[in-house]
Amino acid sequence: MTQHHPERRQAYDEPLWWALFSAGGVCFALFVPSAALFLALLLPAGLLPADALSHERASSLLFGLPGLIFVGATICLPLFHAAHRIRHGLFDLTLGSDGTNKWLMYGAAALLSALALGVVLLGMLR
Amino acid sequence: MTTKQISIRRYLPERDDAPFWQPFEVPVDDSTSLLDALHHVKESLDGSLSYRWSCRMAICGSCGVMVNGIPKLGCKTFLRDYDGEIRIEPLAHFPVRRDLVVDMEIFLEHLAAVKPYLIDDAQAQETAETYRQTPQQLARYRQFSNCINCGLCYSACPQFGLNPEFLGPAALTLAHRYNLDSRDRGKAQRMPELNRHDGVWSCTFVGFCSQVCPKHVDPAAAVNQGKVEAAKHTLIALFKG
Amino acid sequence: MHKPPRAHPPLPRNWWLKHRFFIAYMAREATVLPLVFFIVCLLAGTLALSRGPDAWQGWIGFMGSPPVVALNALALVASLYHAWTFFQLFPRVMPLRLGDRSVPASLMVAGQWAGVLAVLLLFVWVFGRA
Repeated sequence: MTQHHPERRQAYDEPLWWALFSAGGVCFALFVPSAALFLALLLPAGLLPADALSHERASSLLFGLPGLIFVGATICLPLFHAAHRIRHGLFDLTLGSDGTNKWLMYGAAALLSALALGVVLLGMLR
Repeated sequence: MTTKQISIRRYLPERDDAPFWQPFEVPVDDSTSLLDALHHVKESLDGSLSYRWSCRMAICGSCGVMVNGIPKLGCKTFLRDYDGEIRIEPLAHFPVRRDLVVDMEIFLEHLAAVKPYLIDDAQAQETAETYRQTPQQLARYRQFSNCINCGLCYSACPQFGLNPEFLGPAALTLAHRYNLDSRDRGKAQRMPELNRHDGVWSCTFVGFCSQVCPKHVDPAAAVNQGKVEAAKHTLIALFKG
Repeated sequence: MHKPPRAHPPLPRNWWLKHRFFIAYMAREATVLPLVFFIVCLLAGTLALSRGPDAWQGWIGFMGSPPVVALNALALVASLYHAWTFFQLFPRVMPLRLGDRSVPASLMVAGQWAGVLAVLLLFVWVFGRA
C-alpha cells in the first residue's frame, strides 16, 4: 500500500528548526519574564532608578557584549521559537501549506534576527 | 438492580451507508465495565452489535473504543464513573469497518516500518548465546516496552488525525525502545524512518497520547527523546559528509 | 459482499475545541503571539536607542501607552505559562541519569525555576541601580 522510500525523504533540516525552537524556548522561559517585567512594565512606569536606563547607560549596555547576548536571548532565539510554533500551529489549523509556511516563518525570524543583531553590531562599531 | 443508558454509534454497511446512534439500557452495579455492558447488549438486546475484545484485563489491547470522545479500553472503563450520558464510538482516526470495529491496517504498517525487533547481525552469525543485561540496562527501556498495541494513542493524537502517514506514538515509542536496548545494534537502520517528516518531526508534544495510554508507557516522552536521537544522527551525518 | 471500510472524516478545523486538554495545548502554543509583539517592541527599542536620546524617550513613552502595556503584560503572563509547561516537558525529553538512578522530574522543574529567579536577580542587579 504505502511506499516507504526513506532514503529520499529524510528531513535533514528539521533538527535545525527544532534545536532553535528548543533553545528559544529556554530563553523564552528564562529571560523573557524578567525582560518584560523590567522593560515593559517597570521602566515605562518610572519605577526604576532615575539613570538606570538613561540613553547613555542603555547604549553602553546594549552596544557591547552584554547587549549582544541580551539580543540573542530575548529577540533572536525567541523569534525562532515563535516561528516554529506558529508554523506548526498553522498546520494544526490546516491553514496554508507547510512548505510555504516554513519559508515565511523561519524567513521572517531570520530577517528580524539579522536586523536586531545588525543594530547592535553597528552601534558597537560607532 | 440499577440500569444506565449507553448510546452506541452503529454502522452496518450491508444495511445502510450512514452510521446512526442506538441507545441501550443495561443493568449495572459497582463492578460493571463497559465491556460487560457491550456483552449484555450483544447477548440480550441486539445480537448484530460488533466489537473486538479478548483478555478483558487490559493486556491484549483489543477493546479500544471512544467513550464520550476519549479513547479508552472497554475492559478498563467502569460505568460507575459515569453519571450523565455515555456515548460509545469506534476508535477515532481509523476507518470504520462495522460498528465499533476499525481497520487497524495503517497502525500495523507503521509498527512494521520501524523494525520493532532486536537487530544484531553479529549475534545471528555465531552460535546462539544468551544475552546478558543488567537491571540498569533494562531500566533504560523498560517503560517503553509495556506497549500493548491497543492504538488508543493514535486516536488521541491530533497529528495522526490530521495526517495518517505520521508513524504515530506507538510505532515511534517501539523504535526508541529497541534503540535503547543494550542488546540491539539497529539504530542506524531505523533512523531513516524516524528522521522523516512523517517520523518524529510531525510530533508537537501535544501529550494526549501519554494521557490516555492504559499502560503508562509515556509515548510522548519516547517520541521526543527520539527527536534528540534524530538530531544527533543528523549532526553526525553532516560531519561525515 | 465486502464493503471497504468507511474512511474516517478529515479532522475539522475546530478539533482542538472538543476537549480541555487540546484547548490547553492551543493556549500553550498561542503564548508565542504576545511574545512576538513584545519582541517587536524590543526591536523598536534597539532602533530607537541607536537613533539618539529623543528617540529613546519616545520609545519609553510608547511602551507606557495603555494598549502597549496591556499587550506586554499579557506577554509576561504568557511567558510564565510557557515556562510552567516547558519546564515540565523538558525532563521528559531529556531525562537525566546519575549513575543508577534517574534525577526526579520535580527536581529538574525546580532547577529551571531557580534559573528564572537567578535571571530576575541579575536584572535587579543591572537595572535596579543607577
